[in-house]
Amino acid sequence: MGGKGSGGPNGGPQYNPANVSAVGGAGQSGKQPTRYISGMPYGQGQKLMEQQKSAPMSMPVAQKGEMGGFAPVEPLKNLRTLLDDTTNPLEPSSTGIDFGRGAGSSVMPQNLVQDSRPLENQAIVKKYLPAFANAAKSKNAPDSFKGFVNYLVGKLNA
Amino acid sequence: MLEWQPGSLYDNIDKFATSLGYENAGIAITLGMIPWESTDDRDAFIETITGDTPKGGNFTNYNSQF
Repeated sequence: MGGKGSGGPNGGPQYNPANVSAVGGAGQSGKQPTRYISGMPYGQGQKLMEQQKSAPMSMPVAQKGEMGGFAPVEPLKNLRTLLDDTTNPLEPSSTGIDFGRGAGSSVMPQNLVQDSRPLENQAIVKKYLPAFANAAKSKNAPDSFKGFVNYLVGKLNA
Repeated sequence: MLEWQPGSLYDNIDKFATSLGYENAGIAITLGMIPWESTDDRDAFIETITGDTPKGGNFTNYNSQF
């Protein structure tokens, strides 16, 4: 027992510090691993671990991609572009606008009807005005840019 | 001191803000931050969405080297 050559490191893969699973050991069982949640009151962490072990959750199927990677949850296969044919040919092209055929702007979602530009401009003024003011002082800055900066300064004072 | 350069961030913002209207500052700045391949590409885009030639600073009020 305990003869020469036994009991010491055998140089196996467990000694390679780079030999770490890319999925953290959570990739083979098909179940989500149990995780200890720290910061809980005394005894609660252990209780949660036991709960997780007793009812393991399966791995989300949508996240399993080919080659072991992660695939998008919802592939955008049917995403259309602006230049595609309309999917609603009977709807007048002026629907949503207050002229021409079709319903007016009342059918548009409220977040598209409401003019949010004043609020946007306020946020822009706070964020970018110092840099813009500096650029407006630069050599040969065009009057149009100076006018734009003046407009933003006006919004600051409004 | 900063010198005004065609195709720079501030030049892009100037073109979009002046072409789209100062009140559309939000979208003008967002479009100005796009790394346009060239000023021609940017100006073509402005023409497409406004149906008009781009407005803003031009060669007459840029640095004399242009």
